[in-house]
Amino acid sequence: MLTPQELVVRMMPPFGGWLALAALALPGGSPLRGAAVVAFLAAGPGAALTGVCGPALRSRPAEGPVARPDAAFERQSDLLERAMLAVLLSICAVMLVSTVLLAVHAFSGERVLLVLTLLTTLAACSPRLRTPPTQRPKPRTRKGSAP
Amino acid sequence: MTDLADLPPVRLAHHLALARPALPLLAALALWAYALRHTDVSDLDDFGLVSAVHPAFWAGLVTLTAGFWCIVRAPKRRQGWSLAYVIGLLLMERATQALLYPTPLYSWAWKHDAVVDHLLTHGGFRTEAQLGDLAVYDQWPGFFAAQAALVRLLGVDDTAVYMAWWPLVSSLLLLVPLLLIYRTFTTDRRMIWTAVWLFYVANWVGQDYFSPQSVAFVLHVGVLAVVLRRYGGRRGGHGPGYRHGPECGYGYGRQRPAVWTVLLTLLVTTIVVAHQLTPGMLVVSLLALCLTRRYRDWVPVAATVVIFLAWCLTAALPFLSAAMPDMIRSVGDVGGNVEAGYGTTPTGTGAIAASWAARLLSGSVLLLAGLGVLRQPVLRYRALPLLLVAAAPLPMFGASSYGSEMIFRVLMFMLPGAAFFAAAALLPKVRTLAADLADLAAEEATARRRRIRPVRPVRPTRPVRPIRSTRLLTARLRPGIWAPPLALLAGTLAFVPAYSGKDRISYFPPQEVALVRHLFEQAPDGSLVVAANRNYPLAYDAYWRVDHYWFLDDGRAHVDRIVRSPAATLARDMAGVAPPGRAYLLLTRGQVADSEMNGQLDAARLDRIRGSVAASPRFRLIAENDAGVLYVLRPAS
Repeated sequence: MLTPQELVVRMMPPFGGWLALAALALPGGSPLRGAAVVAFLAAGPGAALTGVCGPALRSRPAEGPVARPDAAFERQSDLLERAMLAVLLSICAVMLVSTVLLAVHAFSGERVLLVLTLLTTLAACSPRLRTPPTQRPKPRTRKGSAP
Repeated sequence: MTDLADLPPVRLAHHLALARPALPLLAALALWAYALRHTDVSDLDDFGLVSAVHPAFWAGLVTLTAGFWCIVRAPKRRQGWSLAYVIGLLLMERATQALLYPTPLYSWAWKHDAVVDHLLTHGGFRTEAQLGDLAVYDQWPGFFAAQAALVRLLGVDDTAVYMAWWPLVSSLLLLVPLLLIYRTFTTDRRMIWTAVWLFYVANWVGQDYFSPQSVAFVLHVGVLAVVLRRYGGRRGGHGPGYRHGPECGYGYGRQRPAVWTVLLTLLVTTIVVAHQLTPGMLVVSLLALCLTRRYRDWVPVAATVVIFLAWCLTAALPFLSAAMPDMIRSVGDVGGNVEAGYGTTPTGTGAIAASWAARLLSGSVLLLAGLGVLRQPVLRYRALPLLLVAAAPLPMFGASSYGSEMIFRVLMFMLPGAAFFAAAALLPKVRTLAADLADLAAEEATARRRRIRPVRPVRPTRPVRPIRSTRLLTARLRPGIWAPPLALLAGTLAFVPAYSGKDRISYFPPQEVALVRHLFEQAPDGSLVVAANRNYPLAYDAYWRVDHYWFLDDGRAHVDRIVRSPAATLARDMAGVAPPGRAYLLLTRGQVADSEMNGQLDAARLDRIRGSVAASPRFRLIAENDAGVLYVLRPAS
């Protein structure tokens, strides 16, 4: 069961998409319209996608430097990684959706935004991907220590 | 209301101490703002922005670099300050032009605006038969398609509204992937942030403008960050992965959730759809990583090769099949591939100075990187994958000349790795983990002894002897103390001429834009625009219905003929335009600057051409302003 806070975090990207669609009613070149569109396109789809994949992505710790264990440093790195993925995957989504719509001669700005918003909403409503039990790391047992 | 005087003095002092790191940053930004207000770019000389910018700009850069060096070396300072200084650097280096110039720079950026306009006009992709050479952009359309969507969604006329800010945006996008790469190999915050700083000041190549390669490069660095963090193998307690080695009790090996590969595939597909060269660079970088046991995972490189080939053999096949003979000829011709082409020889004091500043900056950073590799054996071992990534683009010299640009592209793709080792050259030696652990054990033992030992009466200590001033001075004059900040400062200052030293070529004043716009507003379909070269704004505007001829791109013999008898030769060249098309001759200050500073025709010869055309009855003047002239060829009758 989702907590209200988790629900808000999960629904933020699709909300941004619908808000950007609503902002298209504002006159062209308006700063509010620009802010809503750019904010969603820059992070919305990617944030939703990393949200779906989050538990599976985090199931294995990342490579890190040779150093004394530093939980705060690892946490910061993971946070940066999530932020990077949110932005880069959003850029990928915008570029790929626009290219596909142009290729099938069905391109318009509104359609690009609508498709991205629908995909983002779908991702936000999907169950989170979990790592299959076979891929979960198992504790290593030392020789002779098995029960 | 509380008066400041009512605050307890201790709290005030505490607040002041906390705000101290902000002082150099604020001072630098204030100097920058002052410089922006007092810089006039209406009459740039051969030194571009270097001679035009107010001296306060240089003072600001010095203050910013000095402040950064002090902040980054203080271990107790929060990382937010280093971030703030790096953003300050990006503002001063990548936003200055956007704030100073009323129109976007670079004719190439204007060309990309024309490609976006073409997609918006036609709502789809077109073939080489319809577009000629420029169909290549329809075969790698990712960036342009996204920009077309953005133009429509923002409700603006074209990308010129925001493309001047693209260098800042694309540089900011690089920040997090870079940080992640560096954080994979060190926890030393000094090294991480110094490497980031060096990367930005050494990245003068100018591929951050409004272009597909700017976004593809961000994605390239992002893919490297993902691969370095998520595709490494465990190495039994040494190297990356140590934290999760046997001590942790888990054995991960090379197992990883398949979802990482799915995300990686998305990133790689976007790179492939956006740009021709970047996938090649990515393949060689990933192959280099496979040379290490730690990263011998073939999934990323195989995925990249398969996606790249699939695109090349389908959507991009028309371009590749036409370009393949030339590409095959240039394979292995390293000399030809690094040679500058005709019309790219810096000419005049300003152009030569900018060129040398760029060479010295790149050479110094690569030299520093080499020094870092030599003097940091521990880091060399730990960050070997990054060293390989830095060296990986070098073989591309043998692959293609990429329009005489390969040397710059190779340099740019080397920079993420090279900057890290260059930073290592400026900072203290990295110690082995064993030495670190021994220190930790000693510290803990001391702390334990202190806790256990009963408190002894304090013995009177000997008075501290003041350090002699000569000894202090000698210590401060050691090269190890002053050389690193000086190197950082020199690099930061050298960036400006390397990046903005040729702004006389890159900048097009509003009058020049207005003149070219006037041309395209009246040009009927099938018209021809003749100009000295393509260095003017909107050069490719309406390229699907208006043809172009840049006579300095023609053979030397023909250029000589034009110089000898300008009006007659040009009239003959332009005579083949069928009605209703018309033949226009456009000469602007941007063309003159480019021709002069790149070793083609000088201003006197171009003036002679202009004079001859003005005197000829074959041409009629349509428009003229401070930035250039526009003539139309009269019908032959």
